[in-house]
Formats: sequence, structure tokens, C-alpha cells
Amino acid sequence: MAGRDEMKVAIEAPRIFLDNVSISYATPRGRLLAVDRVNLAVDRAEFVVLVGPSGCGKSTILRAIAGLNAAESGSISVDGKLVDGPPEHVGFMFQRDTLLPWLTVRGNIAVGLELAGVAPAQRSSRIADLLALLRLSEFQDAYPAQLSGGMRQRVSLGRMLAYQPGVMLMDEPFGALDFQTKAVMGRELLRIWETERRSILFVTHDIEEAVALADRVLVFSPRPARIVAEYRIELPRPRSLRSLRASPEFTAYTSAIWEALGDDDPAAA
Amino acid sequence: MTAPLASDETIPAEGSGPEKPVASGSNLSIWLWRLGLIAGLLLIWEFAAGHLFNEFWSSRPSLIAERFLALFASGEIWRHLGATVSEALLGLLLAAAVGTPIGIALAKYRRAAEIVDPFVMGLYGLPRVALAPMFILWFGISLLAKVMMSFSMVVFVFILNVTEGIRTVDTDMIDLMRTMRAPKSYVLRKVTIPSIVPWLMASFRIGIGLSLVGAVVGELIGANRGLGWYVLRAGGQLDTTGVFTGLVVLMLVAMIANHVVFLIERRVLHWRAATR
Repeated sequence: MAGRDEMKVAIEAPRIFLDNVSISYATPRGRLLAVDRVNLAVDRAEFVVLVGPSGCGKSTILRAIAGLNAAESGSISVDGKLVDGPPEHVGFMFQRDTLLPWLTVRGNIAVGLELAGVAPAQRSSRIADLLALLRLSEFQDAYPAQLSGGMRQRVSLGRMLAYQPGVMLMDEPFGALDFQTKAVMGRELLRIWETERRSILFVTHDIEEAVALADRVLVFSPRPARIVAEYRIELPRPRSLRSLRASPEFTAYTSAIWEALGDDDPAAA
Repeated sequence: MTAPLASDETIPAEGSGPEKPVASGSNLSIWLWRLGLIAGLLLIWEFAAGHLFNEFWSSRPSLIAERFLALFASGEIWRHLGATVSEALLGLLLAAAVGTPIGIALAKYRRAAEIVDPFVMGLYGLPRVALAPMFILWFGISLLAKVMMSFSMVVFVFILNVTEGIRTVDTDMIDLMRTMRAPKSYVLRKVTIPSIVPWLMASFRIGIGLSLVGAVVGELIGANRGLGWYVLRAGGQLDTTGVFTGLVVLMLVAMIANHVVFLIERRVLHWRAATR
């Protein structure tokens, strides 16, 4: 079974492949099924967004791909290798910035380089490039406590990019930011992704954000998470978020996804 | 986020959120108020003693100041100050050196921690002062007896604070490090150790007072020098001026030591004080 899957993976070469994955976790009141038989493939350089009600289990899927949680049944593979502990070349971004507060912006970005095994001699120029890319140069010596939430997520993004992942797993990375900062960060992410294409699996419960960013949107049911709908977003790239919002296609996608989520969606509030 | 042992200590989860300014004495008007308050109290004391009641009971600030200066002038103070400070300091450092690894071990080996927990708490709850006779028996009236007394007062602060500090290390940070396949030693160096530094600093701050208590108690039980011994002897001779002078010196030692820790803390935890 596993052998056949690996062959299929080798032929189609999706970067992320989930085959009939179920995940449950222990609670004081017994085991709780969080993810129910999910099949999912993310291609090379594809931007896939998972939407669904809060707490439906989308994050659990991301954590399982990153090797932080084990799948109960089914198999997960990244780059054709079965996931059994954190796989190589996978970057992760949490909703919280998880920056090390005792390191400066530079120091935090250096963490990604160090763990990617970048030679010390090259780190300094790589950091400078990343700081420029993320428009952080003038804050390089600041500590996280001195930065706003949006800036902190920018640094988190920089740390992840410094790690040079082929796959980026982003768990509501802009979920805690205000509307405007969120839009800016989305634009920045697209700008970076369009110059350096990587596979992104991005979790959000913001439908407009999902449509604006994604090549493909997967809609999840309330827990246990199950894929209920899939939309290929055929909007031209590069996308400008401002003009997108006015376009009828954009509105058609968002209302279709609203529909798929159902009216009892708690995230609709 | 659990608070460390002393209620007046605040430890940030990750340096976020508004921080109260750490320096409380920078404001000029606060200093003027402090000076006014202490001057007022000393004046009341000075005039009450000898007028409202016999100055034998409370001595007088002017007499205390006189004795204080005399002790320094004769150089006698150094014998006592040196003894007490070295006892307390050695006890404090020994407690840090022993308590920190124990705290790390207890946080790491949960099962072992669960097993020994009642014993640790039992020893922690035991008034360590009651151990003084045993320490005198084992270590004589040497320096070591007071150091051990001081150590026994402080070591639990380090054990409990470090354990709690490690248990409250941000799991998201650790998870993030895991996704980047960080080696254990890297996580220890970059995440775990820096996160317990604020808890260590808090332990030192609480520990200063306790280590002085340990040293003074040791001296009260058996000694031939030290500030505790000086106070005890003065009390025995009904020399209230001597008692108060000893207390003033002890208080100054505690205040100076606190300030030293504050300065170290400001250096080590500069990332915390950093605000926009």
C-alpha cells in the first residue's frame, strides 16, 4: 500500500500528499476526532488555502504535515517521504509570532539560517537581503517587544524564508492582525511568493483573504474536519487586492465559499 | 502563566505587552518624597525619645548615627560586615549552583518530580531555623555553618522557580524549533536557558533577603562576629543604640545588594525593558 503510494507520488510529484488521513486527540472526556479521512495534494509552487470554521481541525492538519502531531490513520508525505517527525525543508508559521524575545530582528532571522545550515560567512549578506525584502532593514537591531504585531509577523516570515523551505505551512499567520495590516501582509506574501515560488498551505477563516491569495481553496466542515468543497481560483496573477475586491469574479468566489461553509458557520460573525 | 514565588515579582511570558518601568527611583519628585518621609520619621523619633518615653527603649537617630560613624572610624564594622556578607553571599551562590540543576532536573523528569514532590515541599515548609542546632553540631561555629544555614534558606527558591520557569517555556517556540529540525542542544541554548533567566533573576532578588536571614540566624545561634552577632551582643548588654545600628547596617546591605541585582537584571534582561 505504502509502496504504491510512493510510486504515485514519484510520478505526480506533489510536494504534500495526504492519503485518507484521520487524526484524533485525547481529551479528558475521551478521544476526539479532529480530522476525518482527508485527502489532499499540494503541487510544487502551488498556493493552497484551507478555510473552515474556527477550531475545525485545519491547524491539526498543518501540524501533522509538519510532523508535530502524528496521524492516527492514513499517510502523509512531503516530497515523497512519509512524515514521521518533522520533515526537511518545511517552514511553519503560527498565528502568534513565536519570535525569541531575547534576540533582535537580525538574531531571530539568523535562527532560520543557522538551522538551514547556511555557512556563517554567508549569513550576514543573506540577512541583509531578507531584511530588504521584508522592508525591515531599519529595525534590524530592535527587539520583538519594540515592534508592532504586523512587524513581528514580518520577522517571523523572514525567519521562515531564511530557513529556505520548499514547503511553507502557515497557520492563520495574519489572523491576529488588524484589517489593514492583514491586507498589507497578504500583499507582501504574494509579492515574495511570486518572485520565489514555493508550495504554500495556508490556513485561515477569512474567506476574502483565502480567495485573494489562493490558487485553490479547500473548504472544511466543522469538526471533525472534512473537505466539503474545493474551488480553483482562476484570477489572474499578479493580483492587486484592491482591484480584486471590486471584480465580480472575486465576489462570485467569496459568495460560493460562504455558501459552502453554511450559514451556521461560527466564523461568519 | 504562573507567577513566581514572591508575589511582588512579575515575569513576562515573552516580553510582550505593556511593561511597567522597572526603575522606580528615577523620578525626582519620588526621591524628594522619600527624603521628606524618612526625615520626618527620624525627627519624630529623635524628639519622642527622651520626651515621650525613655530613650533607653528606642535609642535615638543621632546616637545611632554617632555609633554608625564610630564603627566605621574604628574599622570594627568590617569584621562584622565582612563575616555576614560573605556568609550570605556564599550561601546564595551555593544555592544557585545547586538549586538550578535540581530545578532543571525536576522539570525534565516529570515522574521523578512527582515522586519527590512531597519531600521537597516538606523540606521547603520546614522552618529551616530549626535546623540551626544541627548545623552548629555538624559544622561548628565556623563560616560553613552560616553558609549552610543561608544555603538552606535560599536553595528552594531556586529549585521551585527554575522548575516553574522551565515548565512555562512557550511550547509554540519549542514546536517552531522542532519544525526546523533544531537539535536539542540548540533549543536548550536559544530557547530554554534564556527563558529561565528572568526566573533566576527573580530568585536572586528573593534570595538576597533570605540569605541574610540565614546568615544572621546562624550568627544568633553561635558565632563570635557578624552583624547578627553584634545585634545579639548589643541586646544582651541592653545597648539599644547598638541593636539599631546593627539593624541599620543590615538594612543598608540588603538595599545595596538589591540594587546590584537590579543593575545586573537591567543588563541581562535588556530585551524586556525595551519598549517602543
